[in-house]
Amino acid sequence: MTDVTMTVNGQTRSASVPPETTLLQLLRDNFNLTGAKLGCDVGDCGACTVIVDGQAVNSCLMLAGQADGRQVLTIEGLASKDKLHPIQKFFENTGALQCGFCGPGVLMSAKALLDENLNPSTQEIRDALSGNLCRCTGYTKMIEAVQEAARLLREETPAQITHARTEATAP
Amino acid sequence: MQAFGYVLAKDVGHAVALLAEHGAKAKILAGGTDLLVELKHAVHNPEILIDISRLRELKAVVVADDGLHIGALATHADIMSSPIIRSMFPALVAAAHSIGAMQTRNLGTLGGNLVTCVPSVDSGPVLIALDASVTVAGAAGQRRMPLPDLFVGPRKTSLKPGDLLVDIVIPKENLGKPAAFEKFGLRKGQALALVNIGASFWADKDKFTAPRIALGAVAPTVIRAPKAEAFLDGRKISAEAMAEAGRIAATEAKPISDFRASADYRRDLIAVLVKRALASAQTRATAKEKELVA
Repeated sequence: MTDVTMTVNGQTRSASVPPETTLLQLLRDNFNLTGAKLGCDVGDCGACTVIVDGQAVNSCLMLAGQADGRQVLTIEGLASKDKLHPIQKFFENTGALQCGFCGPGVLMSAKALLDENLNPSTQEIRDALSGNLCRCTGYTKMIEAVQEAARLLREETPAQITHARTEATAP
Repeated sequence: MQAFGYVLAKDVGHAVALLAEHGAKAKILAGGTDLLVELKHAVHNPEILIDISRLRELKAVVVADDGLHIGALATHADIMSSPIIRSMFPALVAAAHSIGAMQTRNLGTLGGNLVTCVPSVDSGPVLIALDASVTVAGAAGQRRMPLPDLFVGPRKTSLKPGDLLVDIVIPKENLGKPAAFEKFGLRKGQALALVNIGASFWADKDKFTAPRIALGAVAPTVIRAPKAEAFLDGRKISAEAMAEAGRIAATEAKPISDFRASADYRRDLIAVLVKRALASAQTRATAKEKELVA
């Protein structure tokens, strides 16, 4: 068994799981966080996207042990108690989700993008969402929703840090 | 996935010792974006996974006396954001950007991409066009070999059980060499290459000098196009010469026909993409000259 302890949506969570357990299985089966979805299970569809240490990843392609000691953010951690995150609000306002299965993954990819870049071009949004397959709504309204969320977040954020994308040296 | 043991390597020496101990019963876990898929499909049935993904010493991108070293664990996202690589080799950034999607690029590593060794490996052509070599650590110490010697066939490398790919080295004489990457897939996102191309040359007195053309996805491994390179070497730089090099390169490949494209279509793509890659490298060479003048 592999013992893991990580911060999930701000809370410390621990579990002891077989080594072959994926992060997605850990989140869903052990932590009861069923927002991230099991779609293709091979990293094509993006329905299992979560953010680990600031980076969007497919949680079906990461072992639980690889997330040990890290910060994990899932769709359940996006809204605060009394308020939707702007990305959620504008996905709702624009009708960017129909069946919603891809939604948790799409929103986490959008979150990862906007955490780095509050002024994304349409092309940058398309690029960021290209790992999330949506087969019913399509992407037009999603892109619109991300643009609207970016606009609101820019208004809420001091101007000098609105384009916070850093070209950090590889660690 | 079937059950396996799991051990976290503490440093490169530890990883090599673990590999020596477990040999062919072990698989190395780096980014996991290929390995976990293969484990789920039971392509491998390792008794133990040796997790090297936290070895920060294998993520470094540094210029040393002998050239640019890119750690095997540098992710595609690391390559895209590395200031050194962005300034020296935008073609490597373009190649990294063409791999998978954001989620894959955040986990997948350069070393893993090379070791998986598919014919369409997007990291391969530009590195081969830049005469890259790879450093391999094993129980007997470290050794260096040209990157093409790593590639044996589809999903088959020359690495032996116990070997660990440590870094990828672009020799110092090629630092800043104008290079380009071209890829054609059936979609823009998450597409395998029907053809991918790496090209580089120095523009010395308006002549192609040390031209390199590497072709991906059109042979069992990434290959060079030596006849096209010989045609260009020392010739005056022109659009016509680039187009002719493309036509020659198309005759040097051995593409297959499959459900994605026919061999003839792939050959036609080679001619077009080689021409484009050479033109793009030329644009880069001109931009560098302007930088020098300014």
